[in-house]
Amino acid sequence: MAAAPVASTSSTPEPSAGPRQPKEDEKPLDVSILKELARKALVDALNSVNGVKTLVLDNALAGPLGLVTEVSLLKHHGVDKMFWLEPGPLSATTTNIVYLCRPHISYVRIIADQIKRHGRESQKHNYTLFLVPRTSTLVSRILEEEGVLGDITISSYNLQFIPLADDVISLEHDTAFKEIWADGDETIIYNSMLALMKMQSLYGVFPRLVAKGDYASRLAKLLSKNLQTSALDSPNSLLRIMSEKIDSLIIIDRKVDMITPLLTQLTYEGLIDELIGLKNSHVELPMSLLNPPNAPNQPAAAAPTSNAPQGGTSLMKEKKKKHHLTTATDPLFAELRDLNFSAVGKKLNQVARRLDEDYKLRHQAKTVAQLKDFVGKLGGLQTEHQSLRLHTGLSEMLVPLTRTDVFNKSLEIQQNLLASYDVNGQISAIEELIAQGADMQIVLRLLCLASIVAGGIKTKTLENIKRELLQSYGYNYLPLLLTLASPPLAILLPNPLPASAPAAVAAGKYPYTALRRSLRLLIEDADPLEELENDVSYVYSGYAPISVRLVQCVAQKSGVLSNPAGEKDKKIAAGDSDARPRDATGAPKVQAHPIVGWKGFEDVVASIPGETADIVQGVPGQKDAPSAATLMLPKEQTTTTVVFFLGGCTYTEIAALRWVGRQTVGRRMLVATTGMVSGESVVASVADGGAAAAGPAEVGI
Amino acid sequence: MDRQEHPTTTWEAMQDSTVFYRKQQVYSTPGKLPNLGDFIIAGCRYGGPLALMRDTSKLVALGSGTAAFAKAQIQVYSPAGEVLLLFSWDQGKIIRFGWTSDEKLAVLNEEGTYRLYDLQGDYQQYSLGADAAEVGIIDARIHENGLVALTGSLSLLEVKGWEGGKPLTLASPGISQPPHAWAVIPPDLTISRHVEALLSVDATVYSVDNLEATDQRLSRGPFSHLAPSPNGKSLALLTSSGSLWVVSTDFQRSLADFDTSSFTTSAGEIRQVAWCGNDAVLVTFEHMALLVGPFGDTLQYFYSGPTFAITESDGVRIVGPDTCDFLQKVPVSTVSVFRPGSTAPAAILYDAWELFSKRSPKADESIRSIRPELAAAVNGCIDAAGDEWEPYWQRRLLNAAKFGKAFLDVYDATDFVNMGQALKVLNAVRFYEIGIPITYTQYTQLSPSQLISRLTARNLHLLALRISSFLNLQPSAVLKHWACAKILRSKPTSTSKETGVDDEVVCKSIVEKFETLGSAGVSYAEIAQKAWEVGRTELATKLLDHEPKSSDQVPLLLNMKEDRLALMKAVESGDTDLVYHVLLHLHKRLPLGSFFRLIEEGGPALALASKLLQVYARAQNREMLRDFYYSDDRRVDSAVLCLNEAATMSDPVAKTNEVKAAQKFFSEDKERTFEAKMVDENVRLLTLQQQLEKEADGKISFFGLSVNETLRTCLINGMGKRADKIRSDFKVPDKRYWYLKLHALTEVHDWESLDTFARSKRSPIGYQAFVQHLVEKGHTREAISYVPRCDSNKRVDLYVLCGDWRLAGKECKDRGDKTKMEELKRTCPNSLIARELEQFAASMK
Repeated sequence: MAAAPVASTSSTPEPSAGPRQPKEDEKPLDVSILKELARKALVDALNSVNGVKTLVLDNALAGPLGLVTEVSLLKHHGVDKMFWLEPGPLSATTTNIVYLCRPHISYVRIIADQIKRHGRESQKHNYTLFLVPRTSTLVSRILEEEGVLGDITISSYNLQFIPLADDVISLEHDTAFKEIWADGDETIIYNSMLALMKMQSLYGVFPRLVAKGDYASRLAKLLSKNLQTSALDSPNSLLRIMSEKIDSLIIIDRKVDMITPLLTQLTYEGLIDELIGLKNSHVELPMSLLNPPNAPNQPAAAAPTSNAPQGGTSLMKEKKKKHHLTTATDPLFAELRDLNFSAVGKKLNQVARRLDEDYKLRHQAKTVAQLKDFVGKLGGLQTEHQSLRLHTGLSEMLVPLTRTDVFNKSLEIQQNLLASYDVNGQISAIEELIAQGADMQIVLRLLCLASIVAGGIKTKTLENIKRELLQSYGYNYLPLLLTLASPPLAILLPNPLPASAPAAVAAGKYPYTALRRSLRLLIEDADPLEELENDVSYVYSGYAPISVRLVQCVAQKSGVLSNPAGEKDKKIAAGDSDARPRDATGAPKVQAHPIVGWKGFEDVVASIPGETADIVQGVPGQKDAPSAATLMLPKEQTTTTVVFFLGGCTYTEIAALRWVGRQTVGRRMLVATTGMVSGESVVASVADGGAAAAGPAEVGI
Repeated sequence: MDRQEHPTTTWEAMQDSTVFYRKQQVYSTPGKLPNLGDFIIAGCRYGGPLALMRDTSKLVALGSGTAAFAKAQIQVYSPAGEVLLLFSWDQGKIIRFGWTSDEKLAVLNEEGTYRLYDLQGDYQQYSLGADAAEVGIIDARIHENGLVALTGSLSLLEVKGWEGGKPLTLASPGISQPPHAWAVIPPDLTISRHVEALLSVDATVYSVDNLEATDQRLSRGPFSHLAPSPNGKSLALLTSSGSLWVVSTDFQRSLADFDTSSFTTSAGEIRQVAWCGNDAVLVTFEHMALLVGPFGDTLQYFYSGPTFAITESDGVRIVGPDTCDFLQKVPVSTVSVFRPGSTAPAAILYDAWELFSKRSPKADESIRSIRPELAAAVNGCIDAAGDEWEPYWQRRLLNAAKFGKAFLDVYDATDFVNMGQALKVLNAVRFYEIGIPITYTQYTQLSPSQLISRLTARNLHLLALRISSFLNLQPSAVLKHWACAKILRSKPTSTSKETGVDDEVVCKSIVEKFETLGSAGVSYAEIAQKAWEVGRTELATKLLDHEPKSSDQVPLLLNMKEDRLALMKAVESGDTDLVYHVLLHLHKRLPLGSFFRLIEEGGPALALASKLLQVYARAQNREMLRDFYYSDDRRVDSAVLCLNEAATMSDPVAKTNEVKAAQKFFSEDKERTFEAKMVDENVRLLTLQQQLEKEADGKISFFGLSVNETLRTCLINGMGKRADKIRSDFKVPDKRYWYLKLHALTEVHDWESLDTFARSKRSPIGYQAFVQHLVEKGHTREAISYVPRCDSNKRVDLYVLCGDWRLAGKECKDRGDKTKMEELKRTCPNSLIARELEQFAASMK
């Protein structure tokens, strides 16, 4: 079902997917079926309302929906006009009005308001409300309180995991982090459970659940409990069969590793997210980058109104257009996305040269047959050409942004803090950034990072810097500071803690310095970057995300202790390197070991705050769970380990996990998440609770 | 072996003997049913029961058997004529009743109230809403998955499903008087998948769905009867002149036309127009049923009195005064086996088997002759067995199939086994005491589990259980129904009531039954609900303990007023929606104080509930949230709430007051001196800003800005003095202030002030910051003047930054830095500069 990459028609000498070209026996788990399900559910929902309809859409859903459907599909199923769900009057010409939104109270009140307004103007409409992903008592209650419950039909549109790439699926619920850790609203945990149940019903039962973190463990327990009860309701489903393709589900909640999102992501895709912004895999780019003479895949959503000036001096100021960054239409992106940004230039250069040579082939074409052959390849070359143009342009946009004073200072502070080098000096440096008027989110990220790695900031210093913050950015950020300081988040703490601090806060102190050693977080030796790329730490130029190390504790134990690829020199010297399968780069691959939970790392894992869970799932209805021994038998076929990030994950973590997957034979990684996050989105979403009320919420897209 | 009548004896030919119809007597019911002519009747598909209500428009002779007519009463008979249910109706006049797909009787009255009765007489009641009650309902059509009602104001209301959904208004047909006749096509049979109503108005027919009413522009009306076929593709219309006209439901093709007027004289009034399967129409008269085939061929069946016909998907059931008959087109498989002279492989196989059982050697020869088609022949015999009513013939046909099967090397016997099982089940339910005359085709459409639920609805638990275990189906549905029925029946006696022994026994017997039958999928909560409904709280609690799904326990616990437990279970389930359900329910029912106490006393176990309440209240009910925080002495939360409130306000006085309130809350908490101080600063700032605005005559807006922005606004508006004052009032550190002032003065291009400022004292941020900021903003010329004040070792680079290569070169020369000079020469942009640099380099020696 997966759409074949457009460029597969071009038989360039190098395979476009690079070293990850799957072999026959390691076909990745087909996740495109999830997209089909989401699409079909949408069509069914729309068709249940007869006739033409006006669709009123929750802004936060537009992105996720864009990943599963096109506007033409909506039109095809009777959608006449579309509006954003925004306060204010709604003028619809059709009888049917269909609302599609997440069950947020603010939306419900807008809807109620619009219905009441129509009532006053005595307009007759049929209202249908589709809630994503399921109906909600709360919504009906509020509609009842507003007195419009009788006028509206409430139903649900079950939008769950959306594939972002062939190894990444996401619920695209952007506010998950804030809801769990700032509001204490666990709805997303339950919804994640339902989504994971759906996965189990498609691919079979996850044989083992491994979780770290209070909420992750809660999710694991909910999941295994729910499996037992719901499998009985559906006797013939896959819920009664142990999955052959999936060997385990690892759940990590964001609180377990708060450090990673606070850092600046240094991979290509991560940096785009940090500096330009990636939302639902879409990035806003200047038109000139996207409008080549023969653009092959124009998203139908946005119609260009005017032609941007070609070769404009400042790309950033040009008219913007959303572009879907995906490897399906852009083969080059697959090669670039996970590279450390410092290596991107070299790669682009390499591709450009390769392309140039390919074009030159036409000069060698002597016979008509050869010429025909070349013309056949031309389409692929042009796609690649356009792709190259896009990424060169994008890199050009990024470079000046990485040269700014603030960017480099903040990087420096991050690296120093990670090494626990002169913490007090770093805090002064942060203060300096405030004085310079750096972005609030950058300052807060660094401050939280300092608090976590140093186990708190001296009370006096902290109060001082908080005061600076409030004076500079506004007193309305006081609630945000309080949220960051109080449990369950507690990532901005004084040291020593006040005596009155809840026990949970004291217990939640992060043992960063110990972890740095035990999980080999910092690669200290200043190797050139090529060498660094042999460890997951390349994604942060020398720092390995704790979350990824934790996954390695389960799925690639040797990778935690030593660099699997780093040993290649010794192996070659010993002469036994041929015994192992190698990937294209020549690094030896390690045969995947069976999943045995946290074994070997129990102490390290226990030292990190948050509950730990390790559940061997039995097939419901059968009394005897499979013994751990049978699970440990190495399987013949390649299995997939699903890693679920509760509260969101960063692009760097995905890149690092892909790296882990590449290093092992017989195991692939599938990343599942509630959404993509970055330090900026984390800070912004938590701030949203209090401060954003000051002005109207930003209405984008 | 006694001779059974050959199947073909009931066959009657049509269309030049190419098609056969057969009428089989299913049950004999002499004297069991009242005179059907006096009643309004609704029949349920798939061999379901018959509901009767006296037709009040008919005269009835008073007599011994008429006591039942005294009050409104509905009787439900099984097809075998047994009374299944009898109940009286105490509501407004019944407009219509009909059967739902799960065999419940939907009864609608003129006030728009409708009830769904199960076969035990229990009902749910719903309503079409107040509007409908006001105008009244004058007619309705009930189909299996909903109903369409015609209101007194002649609009059509549709109800989808039987969950009490809100009625939808269909497009207005724009008629001034009720239609002569009308019918609906259920949504699953229309192309649009939405219900379609067909109204006979004047000479034409309107088809109405929820979007539009279309006039089909016919001229043959008015029609007295409209009947859509079971598959919804064709429509039978009867004109007032008595001609039967069959058209496709889109009115594009006329399929048949037949005049029935000649029969009315002999057989009495036309009672019903019904379909027999999808290709023949049955018109019933007082004493006769007339089957009209697609080409106008007819068959006549005579009855001693009025009949009632129930259309099935593969035929029609005719309930007469003495019999219940099933009339159908003889299925293809049966025809090919039994049609006289048939040479179909199945017929030859059957023949061969008969010869074989007579020990005739010809059997072998017959088998040989159909060798290539033997598998098809076996399948044919199996199919034919399914369509045979008599076990005798079923057995013979299956034997024939078994015989043929033996000659095949490879044959998948699944169909054979399944058919055997199905027939065993069918024969059991067709037995007159059970009375479900269902054909094999209907059985496959209905599904075995539906059939079983029909049995449980009749309290035939043992049979249902046997069948479900025979078919390897989950027994949980049956057991659940059984348990509910058991609870209803086992009323506690007065002696056992006090001891609670009775409850214990019932609970135990139910749980034991489930466990021995290994049915884990059953929901104890539903059974407990039943127990609670009949007032047996004790038993309900006991049963609820066995429920594994906490989510299912919650609603009942709420009903039982076990508030704390309900909330606890909801939190445990992790389903936030369920928690909301409980919270909102309790919020409505309990006084606010005890509601808060319940949550507060729950401690960490109910933390989720408390958080969710806050999320809800923050968006919808802030007043309540204030009370909640106040009652729990949560000063910080109260303060934050005030701040949030303040953030939404624009009125200066209200905003300041709200911030002051927050300040008060913080100051009450000893741990929050820092926050109190900050909010205090905020109050001061707000007051100051109001003052500033006054000073500026309202031309500059200050209110709500941060300290930095306030300073900046002062500076760019030439209020430097004020800025200095604010700066010292708010103890803004030097560095920050310098940056601010640098940025502000650059913004307004006030180079003079900037210069004075830079000279006012030694810059705490150095002068490099000046250069860099000015360059960044594009003021390189101004930037250069600050370079000499920077650290000497940075100057070269800064000059380069300003784009002044000459000065950079000069700087190099002054410092005698040859390496730097080389670097400059290498990186300089053009040869002109390079030459100039060269000169400097030369003069360095």
